[in-house]
Amino acid sequence: MKGRHLVAIIAAVMVLALGPAGFAQTTNPDTFVFVAFGEPDSLDPAYAYDTASGEVIHQCYDNLVAYEKGSVERMVPALATKVPTVANGLISKDGRTVKFPIRTGVKFHDGSVLTPEDVEYTFERAMLSDPAGGPVWMFFEPLFGVQTLKDLACKVAGLDKIDDMTKLDPAVLRKVYDAVDKSVEVEGGNVVFHLASSYPPFLQILAKGASWGAILSKKWMTTHGAWDGKPDTWIKWYDPPKEEMALYDVAMGTGPFKLTKWDKSGGQIIFERFDGYWRGPAKLKTAFIKYIDEYNTRKLMLQTGEADAIMISPMYLDQVKAIPGAVVQEHLPAITNTALLFNYTIPVKGNEDIVGSGKLDGKGVPSNFFNDVHVRRAFNYAFDYDAYINEVALGQGSKPHGPIPAILPYCDKSQEWYGHDLKKAADEFKAAFGGELWKKGFQLSILYNTGNDNRKTAAEILEANIERINPKFKIEVQGVQWATYLDKLRASALPVFFMGWHMDFPDAHNFVFPYMHSAGAFAGYCGADMIKLAKQEFDDLIAKGISTTDPAARAKVYEALQKKAYAQAIALFYVDAQDQRVYRDWVKGYVFNPAYSANYDFYEVWKEVK
Amino acid sequence: MLTYIARRLLFLPLVLLGVTVFIFVAMSFLSPYQLVSSYIKSPEELKNQSLDDLVKKYRLDDPAYVKYFRWLGNVLRGNLGYSRSANMYVAEAIKARFPATLELTLFAIIPVVLGGIWLGSLAAMHHNKPIDHVTRVFAIIGWSLPSFVFGIVLLMYFYGVLGWFPPGRLSTWADQIVLSSSFVRYTGMNTVDAILNGEWRVFWDAVRHLVAPTISLSYLWWAFILRITRSSMLDVFNKDYVRTARAKGLAENLVIRRHVRRNALIPVATVAGLMVLGMLGGLTITETVFDYKGLGLLTATAAQQLDYTCVVGTTLFYGLILVVINLVVDIMYAIIDPRVRLE
Repeated sequence: MKGRHLVAIIAAVMVLALGPAGFAQTTNPDTFVFVAFGEPDSLDPAYAYDTASGEVIHQCYDNLVAYEKGSVERMVPALATKVPTVANGLISKDGRTVKFPIRTGVKFHDGSVLTPEDVEYTFERAMLSDPAGGPVWMFFEPLFGVQTLKDLACKVAGLDKIDDMTKLDPAVLRKVYDAVDKSVEVEGGNVVFHLASSYPPFLQILAKGASWGAILSKKWMTTHGAWDGKPDTWIKWYDPPKEEMALYDVAMGTGPFKLTKWDKSGGQIIFERFDGYWRGPAKLKTAFIKYIDEYNTRKLMLQTGEADAIMISPMYLDQVKAIPGAVVQEHLPAITNTALLFNYTIPVKGNEDIVGSGKLDGKGVPSNFFNDVHVRRAFNYAFDYDAYINEVALGQGSKPHGPIPAILPYCDKSQEWYGHDLKKAADEFKAAFGGELWKKGFQLSILYNTGNDNRKTAAEILEANIERINPKFKIEVQGVQWATYLDKLRASALPVFFMGWHMDFPDAHNFVFPYMHSAGAFAGYCGADMIKLAKQEFDDLIAKGISTTDPAARAKVYEALQKKAYAQAIALFYVDAQDQRVYRDWVKGYVFNPAYSANYDFYEVWKEVK
Repeated sequence: MLTYIARRLLFLPLVLLGVTVFIFVAMSFLSPYQLVSSYIKSPEELKNQSLDDLVKKYRLDDPAYVKYFRWLGNVLRGNLGYSRSANMYVAEAIKARFPATLELTLFAIIPVVLGGIWLGSLAAMHHNKPIDHVTRVFAIIGWSLPSFVFGIVLLMYFYGVLGWFPPGRLSTWADQIVLSSSFVRYTGMNTVDAILNGEWRVFWDAVRHLVAPTISLSYLWWAFILRITRSSMLDVFNKDYVRTARAKGLAENLVIRRHVRRNALIPVATVAGLMVLGMLGGLTITETVFDYKGLGLLTATAAQQLDYTCVVGTTLFYGLILVVINLVVDIMYAIIDPRVRLE
């Protein structure tokens, strides 16, 4: 009968399929498989600004200097033969000239030899292309004291505003080029950077782990469709779509691994050892990063040994701890924090669904609700930090001391942030708006983007505590689609919003600027009165902090900023996040460095398979 | 028949145009800052990102009709646009992902259809007897079981415990062979390409990865085919010609094979056609559970991230398949049933 044939065929297929199971499952000692989630955005160092991209760039490129194993402060030479300091004369006394002697005999993956011109080209090309929303502001700030190439063009052309760079006069474009050209120069075997003013974390910006500081090959770039290095042509490569950039999905560096292929349809990236690496070839021969969103699959791959390491969310830690042979490292200090930020000037018109009546009448909140420092303090006292860290972050976090994460130098750990105290919260609410708020009450919506359950719970913790203080206080927690959230955020329509900041470079400046400066990343969403406050109270100190070279003097500045952040209760900083690593016990040589965006440095790790 | 096919194909561009207009109209309800969400995926990426610059750079603030004609102009020049969510040009993404879905469909269709027909005939022949009830209950359980639950159970047992049928499309070592320059990709389907390249280890590896999703899909769809086959066979059993066949003393076996099953297959062909169509459009859940990178996963991710370029591109492609497969089903009727004429 037909049915029997069918069963026989299915059985045969299954038996045959089982046959080769044996040889596929050997754990290859030369091959490392890391299973992550979230694919890279672009592999071009001038564009990449996310950790997933940084992870790939890390393996294929070298920077001028690198961090000493595990440290975020001490540096070792890389493509530069010395770490510049004032003591060795490579940094000028005023801190405005930084010189890097370039290593000789270093080879790129295509066999060509590194020259100082490659280094010069790398930085000039990044600045002249300046992709919108990219990382290149980190060169403009120290070198020119501006944020973008457009700002620089305004400066050299004496204009207030430029709408379209491509329509500028060729003479102006040439001037822009000249300015960029003069900021990075080759002097013999050295590359010299000329800074606008001294900038203590400049080396951190350039160190390995920062993808934008990865050194490119001028010859390879100019022959593969990137800027040709000529003074009058660069505008053609200004702010391109990422997919049109030369290094979008390939890599050509001096690093320990060559990029074999970014197999986008298969969701994986394959690396192969570069035998001509200047520090000697890596122990691993091949490495894979696979991107799999489904947690169960990642876990099973770790369990069967097909994956050597996987990325997981803290909520699954207990499950992977139960896998024999799995190593779990937790409570690793990440340089990142999360906060609830306040909008000091909430728009009322057209925003009634969030702010209600827009008046201090118990049926909504007035526009200047968060402009009253007592309200901001009350919110800070009302939040239950321990409950969040223990129940939501599952212990994978610590209580912040303010905007600067505790692991960074210049975070004054003797200063505490607000604690959970409903009595003090009530006192602050009573003091707000001359006692009116306490009498009349308020009604407010807290929005979060759906899917972000941690933020939902944080909002609910706040809701439960604030409503307990006074029955006239009403908070509604509301989930909206990410697109809608973004739309409202852009319109500064959200009275409060959640925001995390992940470090670009491990320095206090990188945290006080976004949270406290009037031109910081979040200032636009915090309303006009926050900008006013920042200009009065914080901006000058922040400028002083970044231009001071003496570490003791810098420490005082950040101490003062931290005090001001506390006094003004500028935001509700509720967790300094921690990181986790999960790998098989045959993985050796792993050292955690929070300054890397890479989870694993494939040059450092190897496998010991029995 | 040829005029019929030609006429049907002439409708194709109209259908596709209609679909794309519909998507762009739907899109015009979104603000430029909502559209920007396909460029930024989480609040963490907002750092130093000026949303206004991004809106300007990608011309998201243009009216929908301007965007539509710009898009249409590019399509006519053969450029479907760039997909942010897949990190690839849309055409490239479809070309890479469709063979995967096609391969899975081809592997699944045989057990699904043959198994379903077999189970259905079995149930019909033993109408209202224990075997009928058992088969139906078995199939209904499969139909009711959410495919993500059954898929995860399969994965946990066959991969987690036994280590037999891994997720994905290929093992790491096989990927290295397939992605090497000496391996020629003829079709994008791993099993077929492996045979054509003479790489039998890769072939078996690809098959091994297909087993679990195939089982998952089969169990899901069996009830569907079973019920159609069963009711349609029961219907045919009562037909006069079956009675005549029995009356003239034909063996029951022959009655079923020649007279009942063949006539009962017409409705089955219709639903099987629709089922293949559904599968080719992407098996979103199965593909997600088994990390099988196919068209379904591509479209679902794109839709989630408001990546309209990719959504429109895959919709166009899907529309194309829809029209072609419907045509094939119609032609098949004519082959199975001599009474049907295509005019």
